[in-house]
Amino acid sequence: MGGLKWVLAGALTLAAVPVNAGTANGVYTEAQATEGAAVFAERCAMCHGKQAEGTWEVPALKGKFMANWGRESVAALSDYLARAMPQFAPGTLEPKDNGRLVAYLLKINGHPAGAKPLPEDHAALAAIRIDPLAATTVK
Amino acid sequence: MSSQNWYPQAGRNAHYARRQMLRGGAALGAVGALSACTGAGKVASAGPAPRRPYLTPMRVTPDQLIDMKCCIRPVRAAGPNLGTQMIGDTLVVHNYGHGGSGWSLSWGSAEVAVGKALSVLPSEIAVVGCGIIGLTTAVVAQRAGLKVTIYTRDVIQRTRSFRAHGSFTPDSRVALSAPAGAGFGDLWEQMTRLSWKGFRSMLGLPGDPVVFQDAFALSDAPPVKKHHDADPAIKGAWEPGGLPLQESEWAHYMDRIKDLVPDPVMLEAAENPFPVAYTRRSSEMHFNFPSYAHHLLTEFYQRGGLMVMRDFNDPSQYGQLKEKVVINATGYAARDLWRDKTVFPVRGQTGWLVPQHDASYSLRYKNASLMAKNDGIVVMNNPIDLGEMFGVGDSMELPDPAPILEVMKIVEPIMAGMKGIA
Repeated sequence: MGGLKWVLAGALTLAAVPVNAGTANGVYTEAQATEGAAVFAERCAMCHGKQAEGTWEVPALKGKFMANWGRESVAALSDYLARAMPQFAPGTLEPKDNGRLVAYLLKINGHPAGAKPLPEDHAALAAIRIDPLAATTVK
Repeated sequence: MSSQNWYPQAGRNAHYARRQMLRGGAALGAVGALSACTGAGKVASAGPAPRRPYLTPMRVTPDQLIDMKCCIRPVRAAGPNLGTQMIGDTLVVHNYGHGGSGWSLSWGSAEVAVGKALSVLPSEIAVVGCGIIGLTTAVVAQRAGLKVTIYTRDVIQRTRSFRAHGSFTPDSRVALSAPAGAGFGDLWEQMTRLSWKGFRSMLGLPGDPVVFQDAFALSDAPPVKKHHDADPAIKGAWEPGGLPLQESEWAHYMDRIKDLVPDPVMLEAAENPFPVAYTRRSSEMHFNFPSYAHHLLTEFYQRGGLMVMRDFNDPSQYGQLKEKVVINATGYAARDLWRDKTVFPVRGQTGWLVPQHDASYSLRYKNASLMAKNDGIVVMNNPIDLGEMFGVGDSMELPDPAPILEVMKIVEPIMAGMKGIA
């Protein structure tokens, strides 16, 4: 029965994005984000900085980054990473690492972790919107 | 621009001659000393020697290095994309992929793109991107009477345009001959001539956005003109999605504008301020980024331009803009955004030394190139052997100071050899 419920929920997600499909609702797990941090340190930090702070030239992956990606789907961000990053060797991130990175980026931008991992399925990712943070949650 | 380069020729020669004799040829070696003596006899009576030195040595010690910049030239094999396409009901006019010639072609390329946009009689357009191409395009569109909104991720100061070398090099890695085809040369010439006029209209403006100055090419052996013959051992050539395989594939068009660019001259030993056997003087034109950007942005806003900060991750988003004519000036980003795999990266990096306003000249020696600009002396290490293949396919945009420090070391004795000039 439980499985059927999930199938139904999935179908609903595809049919019409429900209000709670955004990243404010915990769309990745802490474990994913922790794994993502390791990927980040190895593949991204050399350009974007250890804290993803960026430089004058290299974009920070916090702050304005979220203004750029806000209201896009998680799939759009994930696709971009898969296609264009790292810039010196685009397209070389393992799909699993790509998902972990997305989780890490959501985490460092203040989006909460949840009980369920980010889905690997593209359509499911496309149904998750990158929310603006609630004013009360900005640290 | 400093006025100290502009001594009357005769006075300058006399000044050199006196200087060379004072130096006794010690730094110059036998060739220089001998020529200096003959030169002295010829011009000694030409007038009083100028009181100030003709050239001030540049300070090139490692501590002077205050900045490093790195950027990717967005080279498009067939030359810049100035084509059009429809995204839904929106006309997109492309203006990207100018290789190492973005600054140099900016006015002409904008004219072409804006001309296409104007043909559907819009009253307002959007420009996506605010590097030198986007911002110039926006201003050209405004001058044509259009209301313009720029949509961009960054304003020019933080775009790749600001990480360029910034000199007039209109055919620097602008295209590969075969994919560009015979017709591109005419378009290139049209854009180059228009751009030249655009730059001429900015000479002498406050802040010196555009500057002419002397450029010296130094060598220990007689300089030879470089040829770009194909290496028969290398089979094949560029293919879509790939890279050029050798230097002969690059297109060169500078012969078309010989009438614009002043001829270089070999300096006589007596007037050679550098401790090398051969020095060739030419004129170069360059762009001072801070004041240039200030002028363009000022005009853009004064004409009522709007700047909207945003990113795009799919071409379909162009169709969602309220403006139904959009000029796409996204440079290297177009490779990913528009999935244009004919764009390939050519990495370049520059070191920046403390600005030295009393040393307003440029210099090349071996792999070193130095150019005094308002915001610093820009240093490059361009391996002569690799020519235009240097950096091809390299999209690592982090700077590496080592090669810059290496050529500063090469130039240090040259500058030291100029000591005693007065």
